[in-house]
Amino acid sequence: MTTRRHVSLPERLADRIGRVLEFLWSGWAGIAAMCLLAAVWQAGHEAYGSFILTSPVETLQAAGALSADPRAWIIAFTTLQRAVTGFALAALLGGGLGIVAGYSPATMRLASPLVTVILGVPPIAWIVLAMIWFGGSDATVRTVILIAALPVVFLGAARGILTRDRGLDRMAQAFGAGPLRRFVSVGLRQTTTTLFPGLALALGTSFKVAVMAELLANAGGIGGALADARTNLDIADALAWVIVSVALLIAVEYTLIYPVKGELDRWRRAAQPWGIKR
Amino acid sequence: MSALNLKGVGHAYLGRTVLDGIDLTISRGEIMALVGPSGCGKSTLAHIAADLVEANAGQIARGYRRHGMIFQEPSLLPWATAEGNIAFSLKLAGVPRRQRAARIAETAERVALLPEDLRKFPVELSGGMKQRVAIARALAVQPDFIYFDEPFTALDVALRRRMQDLVIDTCAGGQLSGLFITHDLQEAARLADRIAVLDSHGRGVLGIRPFPSAPAERTDTTNFEWVQSTLGNDPLFRHIHDVDERQIT
Repeated sequence: MTTRRHVSLPERLADRIGRVLEFLWSGWAGIAAMCLLAAVWQAGHEAYGSFILTSPVETLQAAGALSADPRAWIIAFTTLQRAVTGFALAALLGGGLGIVAGYSPATMRLASPLVTVILGVPPIAWIVLAMIWFGGSDATVRTVILIAALPVVFLGAARGILTRDRGLDRMAQAFGAGPLRRFVSVGLRQTTTTLFPGLALALGTSFKVAVMAELLANAGGIGGALADARTNLDIADALAWVIVSVALLIAVEYTLIYPVKGELDRWRRAAQPWGIKR
Repeated sequence: MSALNLKGVGHAYLGRTVLDGIDLTISRGEIMALVGPSGCGKSTLAHIAADLVEANAGQIARGYRRHGMIFQEPSLLPWATAEGNIAFSLKLAGVPRRQRAARIAETAERVALLPEDLRKFPVELSGGMKQRVAIARALAVQPDFIYFDEPFTALDVALRRRMQDLVIDTCAGGQLSGLFITHDLQEAARLADRIAVLDSHGRGVLGIRPFPSAPAERTDTTNFEWVQSTLGNDPLFRHIHDVDERQIT
């Protein structure tokens, strides 16, 4: 609901380019953290040898070899589509239920104990049940992701609605907005504060649970490749697949979650003093 | 027909009666101040009149075409710029997109908002500027009636005075009618044409007093003298500074 008629197109472009460059520049901190991790990893390698822990360079070489193999791309894509579709299901269902529960205290009272129960059951138990129900298929992985990721999205959406500024609802009503208009233009927008952290957490959970379910359910994908590496005692290959999994998560998070969040949170950046934007 | 006519209006929260038997008529072009002790139901009455809350009893006849409302808190959308916030009310009022920019510019000028202020988010604006945007948002829809729900209570004295001047300038000429909720008699004396006093327990309007001249014609001295003489001599205003914290919810 931001109109920018007084801002010219070059100004808007400059603003957008500035934000992208600032975002890319903030990547230095991430690279520095990765270098620190690699240093600790290298120390572990030198202490225990390649059989226990391969060096970062060897692992990257193994990952490079995987990237040249078309079969590895198919394996990675299988896990990617399972994780993303499972995440999408959890986001839609959890977000929808959370919003309903946020507006309806009775639904919230009924749903809260159920969420506690779902959170209390270990994902491994769901994997066993899903394997019995669906066998080693996509449905098994998606079901386990849905159950594991749904509570955080549900709570994020419900909390956003519950903690919304009711003064804004009243203001919108005073200017003639009906219930649906108030929800779309005022309520929904306020859920983003708590919904986005929930979605980021759910996305990470989706990838972790997808790989775990694939490994235990013998359903192929990166989990299946990790099982093969375990059988062959190939540490470099196992770590390379871990890197692939993390790289996929980062790629999805930074192309799906953060651009939307950055666009919606422009007003928060306006409150931050210059120099500590990120 | 009057701009607003309330007849026998009553309301209760969870079985507790907060308003009962309220009769109030506001003529066209008139600003009516409604005063009373904290917790007597002034804001609830304004919300009922503005159709934000449904009354349990009574009749409400709105003779105006469109109303605007200014709250104690500016209630600006934090994710929209000042311009976006003004556009929000225009969008809700069904003003076509192509007309909105001109309407925003015109209203911003009325309340002395500069083009650079319009690009700022609420978080970048001071309390006074936020309230200025809230006033612009209410005026942009070109209302013929405005509800003022203690709009300047949270502002400091100098800022409050400037905002009151803005209201006096905007309402001068009698194009606007309004209900101004306040607990500050000095503020009522500056802005209103008539002043109504609500019972401490919301049991009806105790009485209404007219001011001798139009708001723009009054001076600080005449306002001060009126408040002093009213508080000292008029029994209608005897209890307006009573406070019962238990009643304030």
